[in-house]
Amino acid sequence: LTIATTTGPRATVDVAHEASSIRIGPRTDGADLAVTYGEPLRLALLVGRDPLNIAAAHAAALGANAEVVVSLGTAGRASLIDRATALRDARPHAALVIADKGDTSAIVELVEALRMGCASRPPSVFVSAEDKARVRIAASVGTMRFEALPSPTTAAGREAIVTRLRALRRGAGDVVLRDEAIEASARALATSSGRTTLVLDVSGASTSLVYATPTGASIAAHSRLGVGPGADRVVAHAGLDRVRRWIPRPIDAPALLERVFNRTRWPDAVATSPLTLALEMSLAREAVAHLIRDARRAGMDVNAMRSAALVVAAGDLARFPRPAQTALVVIDALGTEGRQLIARELADALVVQGAIATRSVAADVTGTIENIALAMTVAPKRSTTVTVTDANGTMAERVARGALFLMPTTGGASVMVTGSVDRQDVGPLALGVIVDARGRPLELPQRDAERVPVIARWYSALAALPVDGGAS
Amino acid sequence: VTWRYDEWRTVHELPLGVIHRAEVGQRVRAGDVIANGATYGSNMRIAAARRLGVAPHDLERVMRVAIGAEVEKGAIIARTGRRFARAVSAPIDGRIVHLRADGDLEIATIVDRWTVRATLDGMVIASDDSEITVDGFAWGLQGVAAYGPDAVGELTLAVDVASGELQPSRVDVRHRDRILIGGGRSAAESIARAHACGAAAVAAGAVPASGLRVLFGDDTGAHPRPVRGDAPTVLCLLGFGNAPLPAQLFEPLVELAGTRAAIHTASARLFVFAPRDRVKPAAQAPSLALVNDWSSLRPLEGAVTLGEETLFASEIAARAVVTAQGPIPAANVRSIG
Repeated sequence: LTIATTTGPRATVDVAHEASSIRIGPRTDGADLAVTYGEPLRLALLVGRDPLNIAAAHAAALGANAEVVVSLGTAGRASLIDRATALRDARPHAALVIADKGDTSAIVELVEALRMGCASRPPSVFVSAEDKARVRIAASVGTMRFEALPSPTTAAGREAIVTRLRALRRGAGDVVLRDEAIEASARALATSSGRTTLVLDVSGASTSLVYATPTGASIAAHSRLGVGPGADRVVAHAGLDRVRRWIPRPIDAPALLERVFNRTRWPDAVATSPLTLALEMSLAREAVAHLIRDARRAGMDVNAMRSAALVVAAGDLARFPRPAQTALVVIDALGTEGRQLIARELADALVVQGAIATRSVAADVTGTIENIALAMTVAPKRSTTVTVTDANGTMAERVARGALFLMPTTGGASVMVTGSVDRQDVGPLALGVIVDARGRPLELPQRDAERVPVIARWYSALAALPVDGGAS
Repeated sequence: VTWRYDEWRTVHELPLGVIHRAEVGQRVRAGDVIANGATYGSNMRIAAARRLGVAPHDLERVMRVAIGAEVEKGAIIARTGRRFARAVSAPIDGRIVHLRADGDLEIATIVDRWTVRATLDGMVIASDDSEITVDGFAWGLQGVAAYGPDAVGELTLAVDVASGELQPSRVDVRHRDRILIGGGRSAAESIARAHACGAAAVAAGAVPASGLRVLFGDDTGAHPRPVRGDAPTVLCLLGFGNAPLPAQLFEPLVELAGTRAAIHTASARLFVFAPRDRVKPAAQAPSLALVNDWSSLRPLEGAVTLGEETLFASEIAARAVVTAQGPIPAANVRSIG
């Protein structure tokens, strides 16, 4: 896997971007590993009516970055024809069947619809059911490829399903999926930093949220939303108005939609103007926010993600020209809570080390990230003051309700808030301390005339958007 | 996105309810029906194996009609025995659509019929109940995205210049069954009018994204899903918004006007059925740039040079292509050859 270099053994990794691949490492003749997005996986969910099973099925789909193209339950009154038609039109690559206890007949109905709709191009069928039910389901599956798996309500069961589904996405090639690499890097970061860590990866065609603890536990959700080829999916899922609401200047919906569609079909396009950069930032916010909503619906511990001690931005989210842009998107999209260190990935370094970590214990995440800000979310009372002490001395700022501001720091700093005895010491930060008293959840005015100045003020508070002008 | 005379392949996905489909090796012409079938209404379950007293896997052996056959009410579906016969008959007019693992049959009423037509002159190379694949030679132009059902018709220019916009006033009932070429932009009103006048399809450099949502629904994206039934067919050759067609694409369209053509929406391709020597494609592939804050596309004509790394207004530094109108990031320029 690795070759010796003057600085020790290093692997060479090809990291796929939207339409190109970047080689990172000492070798020029080839790569040891290739990180790709994997093949899109269209997944059909056939689940009973138990809310636990439904949530677990969606969690497994999120964990495997599979697109749920159709979800059929036993609670509905749809006919066999309706279900078979829905399954035929969805053309799934795989079907995940989860039977409730004591509801075998109803789940068999769904499997019969699957065979009727998809037998001529059969998907891979994964079944989680008790032994007795599995026998009946197996009979209805007919000649379709069938595999029994443990219940997805357990961690081991979910892991098994995710592994099988990922194998389908990987195809015949020996590749590391980007989401696998992100998960491995989150675990490595959490272990090395000794803090709960959330890696937030937004790339052109995928978005990932991976929460890891120093003990090795992790929660992961991935989707095919993105700021490039996945941009139209963000608009389709979140709605155009939700994307538009983050743009710090008036723009009508049709004009915005044009830009989203063209960006979707133009891989690796460069944002040349503040408007297109703001659009990418808006898409990133909504991609993350939508994935968080999906993760919550799937029963994942979103509150733990939101309050992770270290939040690391990766992918395109880490590549915005100003660190303040990355920080602002992370804070807005995640709705951060408490005090959190925000960092960003340096030039694919985290993905590379994550990919290595999937195959070897030699992964080293040191130097893969840059700390950019300490985000402090406060609910201020009348006399709340934030005091920051760094190499330049001490500065104190009173915090008004609704305020968002940056206190720049030089070198290491310590931060205190009135009313709290906790003092937080942080190392060097690219930006400083961001104090956010806007309240949670963030509420934006509906009307453009009220909302645009608010958004512009937030951008301005962190100096997160360049002034229009120059080459475009 | 450039003209090419080649052997193309089209895959036609089939809906549920296939009754007849073209067999492998069958020669087809664009517009020919390659599959037809039924749209099902309500269904009824018949406890066939249990009523006949046979094992589920033995049911097919005693069936008098095959799965997929259309039957009239009262028709014998399956029968056992001679002197003490037991029989299962159809409770309704319909089609036997499914045999369950437990030996029950599903019969469904037929509420509509569908057909799938070829979009190439060629030969069926694969055929099953899920999809049919056709191979054939044609002049082809790869577009960016296509919406609506497949279309076949005579290629007709509806604009005078490559950058022109298809005006609703230029579309009338004389364009029935024609594929209209709409220049650099075709708005939703023009497409809706063309569809109302019976035009087979509209192909243009670009179509406004919001117009596509008006025509095909609010969930329409840049990666369209197949549409069946009565809907316009739209082919976006270069992108969305506004995109004047480069001369290398437009001039062959002028030469091929009046020729039989087809649009295969799943692959977003325009096929024109003309001899190989009918047009001479340009030796140099055109370059296209994503400009105006990504709202439109522009062919690059005249001299351009690849310049040094440039800092753009967004503060992103990238290698740029230098044009008379200013630098454009090299990543936002692509050759469409």
